[in-house]
Amino acid sequence: MLDVSDLVTTYGKIEALRGVSLHVEGGKITCLLGPNGAGKTTLMMTIAGILRPRRGSIKLEGTELVGLSPAKIVSRGVALVPENRLVFPEMSVRENLLAGAYQRRDKSGIAADMERMYARFPRLKERREQLAGTLSGGEQQMLAVARALMSRPRVLLMDEPSLGLAPLVVAEIFDIVAALNRDGTTILLVEQNAHMALKVAHQFFLMEQGRVTFQGTPGQLAEDEVIQRAYLGTRRVAG
Amino acid sequence: MRTIVCTLVAIAALLAGYPQAAHGQVRAKAAVTCVSAGQVLEYDCTIKLANARSGEPLSGLTVSVGADMPSMPGMHNVRRVKATEQAEKGAYHVRLELEMHGDWAVHIDLRGAVRDRVVAMLRFEEAEVTDVKPSPSRRGH
Amino acid sequence: MDDYLVSVVSNIGIISFVALSAYLLLLTGEISFGQQAFFAIGAYAAGIATAMWGWPLPLAIAWGAAAGAACAVTLGIPTLRLRGLQFAIATLAFAEMVRILFELWRYQIDIDGEPVGPNGTDGFRNIRYVFDHNIEAFDFMMLIYAVLAVTLGSFMLLERSRLGVIFRMIGEDATLASLQGIAVARYKVFAAGIAGALAAVGGGLYAHLTTYVEPRTFDVMLGVHSLAYGLIGGLGTALGPLLGVVIDVGLLESVRLFAGYRMIIFGGLVALLLIVRPRGLLDERLVHGIGRLFRNAKSGTTRTGRGPP
Repeated sequence: MLDVSDLVTTYGKIEALRGVSLHVEGGKITCLLGPNGAGKTTLMMTIAGILRPRRGSIKLEGTELVGLSPAKIVSRGVALVPENRLVFPEMSVRENLLAGAYQRRDKSGIAADMERMYARFPRLKERREQLAGTLSGGEQQMLAVARALMSRPRVLLMDEPSLGLAPLVVAEIFDIVAALNRDGTTILLVEQNAHMALKVAHQFFLMEQGRVTFQGTPGQLAEDEVIQRAYLGTRRVAG
Repeated sequence: MRTIVCTLVAIAALLAGYPQAAHGQVRAKAAVTCVSAGQVLEYDCTIKLANARSGEPLSGLTVSVGADMPSMPGMHNVRRVKATEQAEKGAYHVRLELEMHGDWAVHIDLRGAVRDRVVAMLRFEEAEVTDVKPSPSRRGH
Repeated sequence: MDDYLVSVVSNIGIISFVALSAYLLLLTGEISFGQQAFFAIGAYAAGIATAMWGWPLPLAIAWGAAAGAACAVTLGIPTLRLRGLQFAIATLAFAEMVRILFELWRYQIDIDGEPVGPNGTDGFRNIRYVFDHNIEAFDFMMLIYAVLAVTLGSFMLLERSRLGVIFRMIGEDATLASLQGIAVARYKVFAAGIAGALAAVGGGLYAHLTTYVEPRTFDVMLGVHSLAYGLIGGLGTALGPLLGVVIDVGLLESVRLFAGYRMIIFGGLVALLLIVRPRGLLDERLVHGIGRLFRNAKSGTTRTGRGPP
């Protein structure tokens, strides 16, 4: 579904991505693990078009995304739930959801999807007139996911949805991820929490220092080793 | 976009209802001299009004005087004061109370036989008041 | 109404245009120290049109607004790529450039034996439309407020519209907005254009109210104030910047309690509010809360109106 090949993204002279290639299969949950600074967020921002790669290609079902504006990429069916900047804090929950449907013109479809989101996330329904900034961390994450779904994406990119959340809430978020996938959404998930990620992922990639260093299915590598490398990287183990 | 177009149209429509020009009006010119009135920021000003074209003194008008600072548009509202006509033809006297020293634009509004506004640029300082003589080298304040 | 009141109220109305102009950019998350440049462009353009070309006032104001918008868009295309502070400095530099250009610019024609037109540092005097047409100060004040009312009405509509929501999204988080599929750069340039037009309308009215302008009028002081009005009054509604103007020009100035200390009080007020209420008195939360109360009250009455289920 989504094919990234030989992607190089730089910040000035620093190469954050040094030739990343990976494949996201349709209908599956693909998980991207790796220590801080491995380039996971850079990869997500490059796919979404916020960052421009120096080299390489990103293809969605054969269509090139590199060079398109973020707006065009959204319209092609890629939605990103970014890390840390989840919601528009001074806008209501309802307005945040509508923001996700910005590119859609089908009013009845949008209304129906709103109801679907409220059904899936009852807490958002309760708080629909509340300002998003007043929600708890978990609720904001749910709102961010729901908003991304409002654009009816073909691929949902999620960058660290468990960041800063309490364990119970993290479990809830992963339940949601699994449920979305059962309904047919293709998901590319960046996670630090390797333990949880391996439970839901169909396949996973390990990134270290701007490169993919391992790919496979959960179980192919001992969980201990994955966790070791996901948190610390191989360098640290060696040295 | 439509909102903006509507706004502009509405503005134009509102403005269009305004009266048309009355031509051949008398224009006034004024010579203003001010001296400190003793109190800080109080000045006595003598205004000599004349027909800008013929130079004939303009007397018998209702004259009110206000002032603002060109460097702070609209932010200093000095209360308009009525000027009193002097014995000399075309001469009026007014006492101005300003808010600070510096360059002021003194507005002289005329009513009666002539309706006009004359603006004089004056620099009010503690000791003296001078005309603001614009020169190409003057920059800012 | 006495003359004094008319002049204060007229000034409040005119400064409100610049305040709204800065507010619109604040909504989209941009700080501009340069809105006085468009006020200047509007003042000169409209003044030239009535005093030198003999145009009627409405046309002159509209032409001033168009000139302001065109300049703002031209400036916005290269500068809105800059972020935050860099954009603020670019606008400041532009405004100073405009002011100095007006100091150098001479364009005069002879009317009734008198030279009329912009004359460098000496300014542009004899913009006499209001006197030539016997428009009373009170009527001109009403004209200012008619235009302001239309502008404010459009703002209210804007804030409820899709465009208004987009502006707010961009202002809150431009990256997140672009992730929703919004062409951020295009909307920012559009907002800058409207802001330029608004400031220019204010400038056009100002030139005709005072009958003269000079480059000093468009000092950075005006830009800083207009920015401060939104920050004091609040960014939750277009009434915010108006409240800011009323507090400064209406209250601090006219009550004259603080006389020479006004600027110190004003600066202190800005600093205090930025700490206590960073998004001003009428901020989004307050406006949202009021809106909710209002909606609840309304839905409450309809429910009782329907009677028992």
